[in-house]
Amino acid sequence: MRFKLISCEIFFREMEFLLGQSLHEIDVEFLQKGLHDIPSDEMTRRIQTQVDAASEQDYDAILLGYGLCNNGLDGIVARNVQLVLPRAHDCISLFFGSRQRYKEYFDANPGTFFKTTGWIERDEIADELKQLSIPNQTGMDMTYEQLVDQYGEDNAEFLWEELCNTEKNYSQITFIEMGVEPDGSFEQTARDEAAAKEWKFKKEIGNLTLLQRLLGGDWNDDFLIIPPHHKIIARHDELIVSSTAED
Amino acid sequence: MAKNEALYEAVLKGRRKDVSTIVHESVDAEINVAEILMESMIPAMAEIGDRFSRNEAYVPEMLIAARAMQAGLDILDPLLAEAGHKPIGKVAIGTVKGDLHDIGKNLVAMMLKGAGFDVVDLGVDCDIEKYREAVENGVQVILLSALLTTTMPYMKEVVEALKNSGAKILVGGAPVTQAYADEIGADGYSDDANTAVKSAKDALGIAA
Repeated sequence: MRFKLISCEIFFREMEFLLGQSLHEIDVEFLQKGLHDIPSDEMTRRIQTQVDAASEQDYDAILLGYGLCNNGLDGIVARNVQLVLPRAHDCISLFFGSRQRYKEYFDANPGTFFKTTGWIERDEIADELKQLSIPNQTGMDMTYEQLVDQYGEDNAEFLWEELCNTEKNYSQITFIEMGVEPDGSFEQTARDEAAAKEWKFKKEIGNLTLLQRLLGGDWNDDFLIIPPHHKIIARHDELIVSSTAED
Repeated sequence: MAKNEALYEAVLKGRRKDVSTIVHESVDAEINVAEILMESMIPAMAEIGDRFSRNEAYVPEMLIAARAMQAGLDILDPLLAEAGHKPIGKVAIGTVKGDLHDIGKNLVAMMLKGAGFDVVDLGVDCDIEKYREAVENGVQVILLSALLTTTMPYMKEVVEALKNSGAKILVGGAPVTQAYADEIGADGYSDDANTAVKSAKDALGIAA
């Protein structure tokens, strides 16, 4: 089979690892993790552009290395090549290998930041996307000094706490070990960050099954297959996404 | 009734200390407390909200105006109660169960206070019982917030549990849309803090 993979770069090391073992011929396009930080309709537009370009070629399927991603995949249309999308809210389900496992973990571990190789080495927003990003448009990414300059000392302190301190309800870092790490340095980075913030640190063993099935063409009920001329819609229940005929 | 331009400007520009000073002076000068609130402070908050909607003001400006407003309310609230002045409505706001994000929720709460509502802030991670308790304590409108698609579906459960409680239910937050609000039978939706104020007024039939 011949596939095109369009994936968030957050899975870079996992995908590279799995692509090496693939029985299929797979062309790959990694998109910036920063799409996660821009308004969802703009994220959708950019992924659609990639889907449209890939649809010009003779692929058996276009594989989407995404989840629903804050509705960033909601509305993506399959042209004349079918699309395949894992049923997941976001990348954490794909790192855990199951959306049910993610849900259980999410409920049992409130206020957790997840770290993987991708979340450590690719958690940046490119300059090109910065202007568009929600943190930039709301002022959430302003430094304390910028706040003082613009709003004075008294208001800066307040704005820092109220608007810019996005970590105040978080208290844990969980490192998900995917088996693609070259050594212990990524885990150590996550441990050091937790220690510096005085947060709890936990380590979980990830599971590549969903990504493996995605690349392997082994699409069970954990995947949505979007036939040509259908589009992805968010469905607000445990199935997360479904498809419907294009308007 | 008269507008105090200096007070209006101080709220609008988020100058908290100036607001305190002017409100104290006005109270000392025995100016009607309801007049101070209704003619100068609430119009300033409405103006900052409208400027935000026109992209002429941004979130930080709205936040500091709301904070300056609060500084004035801290002085006025006991006096307003004494004078028998009633808030325009009583509302409760909270982020839904499992969701700990509150930046947007807090901003909406402040804008509602700035518009003259009595606002009960239920905080984050609110279950149905928390909202129900608020309704039992006389709240007329409940506002539900969520940032994640994982937590948003809880809104449906809250709406189902409280649809016959007599309270109106409004929803908002990054993944929430008008279509979702309609799908779950919410009474209203808004996509930013200024329209949230308008939605709360609409829900109670208060003229904008």
